[in-house]
Amino acid sequence: MEIKIREQENVAILSLSGRLDLASGATLKEHLKKLTDEKTIQIHLNLAEVEFINSSGLGALVSIMKEIRLLKGRLTLSNLASYVQEIFEITQLSHIFEIYTTEDEALASYQPVEAN
Amino acid sequence: MSDVIEQIGQLLARLQSPDVVEREEAVHGLGSVKQDEAIAGLVVAMEDPDLGIREIAADYLSRIGGDTASQLLIRFLANEDIGTRNLASEVLIKIGAEAVPALVENIDEDDHDVRKFICDVLGLIGHESATEALLGRLWDENLNVICSAAEALGYVGSTEALDGLYAVAERIGDATLQAIEAIGKIGSKESLDFLYKQINGDDPMVTLVAVEAVGQIGCAESVSHLAPFIDAEDRTTADAAMAAIIAISRANEGRIEYDLPLDKFTGFLFEGIRNRDQAITEFTLSRLSNWFGSKVISGLIDVIGFVEGDELKRITELLGDVGPKVAKPILERLSDAPLTHQSKLLDIIARFVDENIAVDLLPYVHHDNAEIRQRIAHMLGSSGFKGAVKDLKILATDTNGHVRAAAYSALGWLCSEADTDFIMGGLDDKYADVREAAVGALIIIGGSKVVAKLTADLYHDDIERQRLAVSSLGWIGEVEVVEPLLKAINHPDAGVRKSAIGSLVRIGSVPDIEPITLALNDENSGVRKAAITALLALRGTESVKDVAILLEDEDVWVRYHTISSLGDLNRSELAHYIMPYLEDDLDIIKLAAAKALAQMGCREAVPILNNMTDDRNEDLAKAARMALSSIGGK
Repeated sequence: MEIKIREQENVAILSLSGRLDLASGATLKEHLKKLTDEKTIQIHLNLAEVEFINSSGLGALVSIMKEIRLLKGRLTLSNLASYVQEIFEITQLSHIFEIYTTEDEALASYQPVEAN
Repeated sequence: MSDVIEQIGQLLARLQSPDVVEREEAVHGLGSVKQDEAIAGLVVAMEDPDLGIREIAADYLSRIGGDTASQLLIRFLANEDIGTRNLASEVLIKIGAEAVPALVENIDEDDHDVRKFICDVLGLIGHESATEALLGRLWDENLNVICSAAEALGYVGSTEALDGLYAVAERIGDATLQAIEAIGKIGSKESLDFLYKQINGDDPMVTLVAVEAVGQIGCAESVSHLAPFIDAEDRTTADAAMAAIIAISRANEGRIEYDLPLDKFTGFLFEGIRNRDQAITEFTLSRLSNWFGSKVISGLIDVIGFVEGDELKRITELLGDVGPKVAKPILERLSDAPLTHQSKLLDIIARFVDENIAVDLLPYVHHDNAEIRQRIAHMLGSSGFKGAVKDLKILATDTNGHVRAAAYSALGWLCSEADTDFIMGGLDDKYADVREAAVGALIIIGGSKVVAKLTADLYHDDIERQRLAVSSLGWIGEVEVVEPLLKAINHPDAGVRKSAIGSLVRIGSVPDIEPITLALNDENSGVRKAAITALLALRGTESVKDVAILLEDEDVWVRYHTISSLGDLNRSELAHYIMPYLEDDLDIIKLAAAKALAQMGCREAVPILNNMTDDRNEDLAKAARMALSSIGGK
């Protein structure tokens, strides 16, 4: 799996391509660990190029989500291919992940809020 | 004509009948005749003892309208019976502009009550032609008439009335408030200087009404004149100033270049939302995007039960934007909130739920309402809080199927292989939703224990369990599911065989291709088609020889699928397999061959395709034209 990382207004955007399975799930978790160690806790995963995801890949995403929540951060997903979307529906993970149709929509949801 | 008069005469006589039905029929009869005599009859019916008849007569009169009806109705404005008087006023208002000349003609009546009622009616009709007559009544000897005339001029809205109203406001103390209100209703910017003078006067009531009037005029520059009053000790004046600023904000599409001490008005603003005041709600919500003090957060949470639709969506979004700190005040209010309110509050914190919030949510596992229990199950699952597993297992045995389904899904997000046996129990549930949720949980958990259980389920007594097992193994997609799936290609059920092949294609790495190759001879055409797709996906051109045998399959759709699948390889060297089928007996096969050869870029097919463009089957001719266009032939 290939993972491209860029940052936009305090949100780390990871564009994944290929198969998300046991090995690539572990790699993804390592990338996330590096980001959170650097205090980046707003993460967006663009799954447009993910062609396959299995049980281990889902487990990796759930584990990442729990980690980000623990750090009071935020994880969003976008561009789910129909196959990936189907497995998210079957596992009901669509209820716990913040899923957006496009990356732009997801990033727009990170608008900063000022507190008085 | 004499017949009509005679008919009216009879109807008028029937109006005196003791029988209410007969009188009602008479009224209907009179209502259908638009002659003065009939109108007079309807006016008489306005005093009928029966309310229903009076209302029918009033309805006819308002529809007939005109001067005669109006003149007759004005007489009722002096009637001692308040009900009759009000009914006559209503009819005159409904007649509208046509009644104005008659009302103006009678506005100098001796009876001051009639003069007052006429002013009231003219105001509610609101026609500009009444302005002059009403201006005349501003100097009436009776104060009530003056007040009514001033109010009416406000409703009419003509700027011609302004000078008269200024004079009344300044010279007739008891009519000042009505005059200022009217000036506000007229809404002319030229009144602002007069009103600014009034708001700075000594009388607090005049100040209050003038503030409201300035708000009604809606000029952005007025905000600086109103702003000092939002610090007034008298809350009524302060709230009126705030309401006036809100009105101005609305009139100027929210653009106010003035810093307002909004925190002082949280009570007023949220009270406005509770009272469903559209202007205050709109103002409050539009200004909250950068205004999140703790009073505001509490206020927003408390008004959730008072809003719906778009406003509710905006409030929940606003609270969501505040972030995790919104969870604490919500949890503090959750148990005391009404049921509908609770669901909305839970939805807001669902996005932020973590282990700490999950602990506070555990008691709600026993909530009376199933919808709340369902939400709690999802939230506990997404919290990642392992301590919630025990409570989720309780919810997995809930009496409500939706709650059980939510609980099994959540268990999938939290549990490990050790809980496989419990989750397998969900596959026995009587509701499909619950069984599917359990399958979802097993897919996430994965691992060798789950795979072993599902592999055993491939040979369960229940065919549905067999099919759930094969699809679950496919979704798990790990290396250890490949062998059971390869074995499942020989399963007695065709659905299981087909699903196993489809899953193997998705997984991709299949060490032994032979079971799939053998499936090309399966008795079920669906399985044969799945095998074609699988072999070409897994081995590409290496499988073409095996697959090509099915170009002669007994089932036309298998033949069609084979041609299409070979076409999808986009390899021109495979065209010789397809060429013969361009002249098949069946149009559907010729059509598939045309498309496949186009994908392969086969120029040898051009002459046959050229002939095909004139085929009587329009679909075939069209496919040939498209193929030629793709290959680059004629």
